[in-house]
Amino acid sequence: MASDQKHTGGSLLFAVLQEHGVKHVFGYPGGAIMPIYDALYDSDVEHYLCRHEQGAAFAAVGYARASDKVGVCMATSGPGATNLITGLADALADSIPIVAITGQVPTAAMGSDAFQEIDVFGLSLACTKHSFQVTDINDLAGVLHQAFAIALEGRQGPVLVDIPKDIQMAEINCSLDDLSQLPNKVKLPPVDVTQAISLLSQAKKPILYVGGGVGMANAIDELREFCDKTGMPCVSTLKGLGAISPENENYLGMLGMHGTKASNLAVQESDLLVVVGARFDDRVTGKLDEFAPNAKVIHFDIDTAEINKRRKADSAILGDLKINLPALAIPLSITEWQKQCQANKAEFAWRYDHPGENIYAPAVLKEISDTMPKNTCVTTDVGQHQMWAAQHMLFNDPSDWLTSGGMGTMGFGLPAAIGAQVSRPTDCVIAVSGDGSFMMNVQELATIKRFQLPVKILLIDNAKLGMVRQWQDLFFNGRLSETDLSDNPDFIMLANAFDIKAKEISKKSEVTAAIAEMLDHDGPYLLKIKIDAEDNVWPLVPPNTANDKMMESI
Amino acid sequence: MNNYQLTITVDDKQVVLERILQVTRYRGFLINGINAVVNTGTNIGTIELMVYSERPIELLIDQINKLIDIKDVCVTKNIPYTPNA
Repeated sequence: MASDQKHTGGSLLFAVLQEHGVKHVFGYPGGAIMPIYDALYDSDVEHYLCRHEQGAAFAAVGYARASDKVGVCMATSGPGATNLITGLADALADSIPIVAITGQVPTAAMGSDAFQEIDVFGLSLACTKHSFQVTDINDLAGVLHQAFAIALEGRQGPVLVDIPKDIQMAEINCSLDDLSQLPNKVKLPPVDVTQAISLLSQAKKPILYVGGGVGMANAIDELREFCDKTGMPCVSTLKGLGAISPENENYLGMLGMHGTKASNLAVQESDLLVVVGARFDDRVTGKLDEFAPNAKVIHFDIDTAEINKRRKADSAILGDLKINLPALAIPLSITEWQKQCQANKAEFAWRYDHPGENIYAPAVLKEISDTMPKNTCVTTDVGQHQMWAAQHMLFNDPSDWLTSGGMGTMGFGLPAAIGAQVSRPTDCVIAVSGDGSFMMNVQELATIKRFQLPVKILLIDNAKLGMVRQWQDLFFNGRLSETDLSDNPDFIMLANAFDIKAKEISKKSEVTAAIAEMLDHDGPYLLKIKIDAEDNVWPLVPPNTANDKMMESI
Repeated sequence: MNNYQLTITVDDKQVVLERILQVTRYRGFLINGINAVVNTGTNIGTIELMVYSERPIELLIDQINKLIDIKDVCVTKNIPYTPNA
């Protein structure tokens, strides 16, 4: 039995983090978390100082999503804690395992409207999977162990631990080896695949609809084997991209609002949807009542609450995809359906013969996708560039594609790329951003500079909030309200101010050499490409419309 | 609109009642009655929650069940809605 060691709350925190294999944390110090930062001084945990707590939270998200590790972020009380909130909400929406540590004013001052006091415990209820406030030093280690267990069990998610300053400073003698982890709460009914096998055997036009849950379950191999054995035409959600092999001839691309025509037509015509780790999100379904109207549904998930939430399942298979997917991997006789889907895929393939000399962002993204090194990790912000990247880039694993899906948070891409680069230091990391999103967490260029992270930034600049502008043109009579960004800063000068090499191009003829220069550069690099402000993302399924009624041009 | 009475068994942990109330509101259910007691010997709480909504009660049960400190949720009464009753 291990002997007791003397700890402060702060030093105990880092001892427990290290027990869970945490090597890196992202954060920002402040008054109510100073004892923890004092303990950090003696710790082996490596801290990445971000320049805003939101940046720290997104870096932790990027770190977790690019690897199979838990992301850890820290902030002080009050504004530090509230600045973390958007990152936690993002992690909750996309089921990302995060442990967030917040400092809190001393217990004696709590509830007195003290300086930098906010009820972050109360705020956390709507944006975390679970949260704790530690009011007794004897509870601290146990709570931290529970935080890691809860973040990882079942459907993963963010957990917040709020630690008052006096608890951080309190002393305790304890042995870490005595601490046990929380038993897994997730208890699911036994799986019966009889009904699902029957549905699958009878289907003539089945579609495999793959979501982010496949990557979260580490079930890529099982999914690809399922694809190979069934030969089922398959589509992916935004977060599921990378799960299906891009070489799969039956893979039709992304479905939904900006999905491929082949995907959406196939889903609408299908007679069976095999839904794997996906949740019928409104950006996927379009008008829910008219989504895949003739299809029965087999729904695989780890989260009971997703079954029948938005679409009734004819067969629900709850549990671990690694175990459950192989049970349904049976050969199917669907040759005609495969041919039809493949013909649509060919007929409606992306075209890159864009007229004129101005740069066409989809073609640039395709060229980067074709030339970037294997295992490149791409992050995005939110908007037109995000949808173009989802449409025109191919990924071999969901951990190579980090985008804010459920929350759709602008400002995600740059700090997420920082986290990804820290977790995968030898892999190429590219942040694809737009000029609107980039400015939302632009301060993180300082983090890139400080740690000399070789993140590549592709800044697609239309001097607009492009997606909102597109919707204003299409659905608000062209009344362009507050979407003009023509007074953007000089992004090249801005990057240079952080010792980041940067280049701007505006002609198609410059693209190939510029991509090569960016990818060949050893350190951080910003490539700004100027595009037409009028370029739109197509196809687009208008709001509250069935997915087969997509718009393909103005 | 349907009225339901849920009986929720919980571990008596921090803010467990607030968590249930937050989820109930967010998932589209309104509360028209609540009764909560804790057995201090076992640290197990029992919460009777009267709610109404147009949404199926299963959606709320599944979401409450996901909360970490919940031991059990069941519908103990399903009361048809009577306007102005």
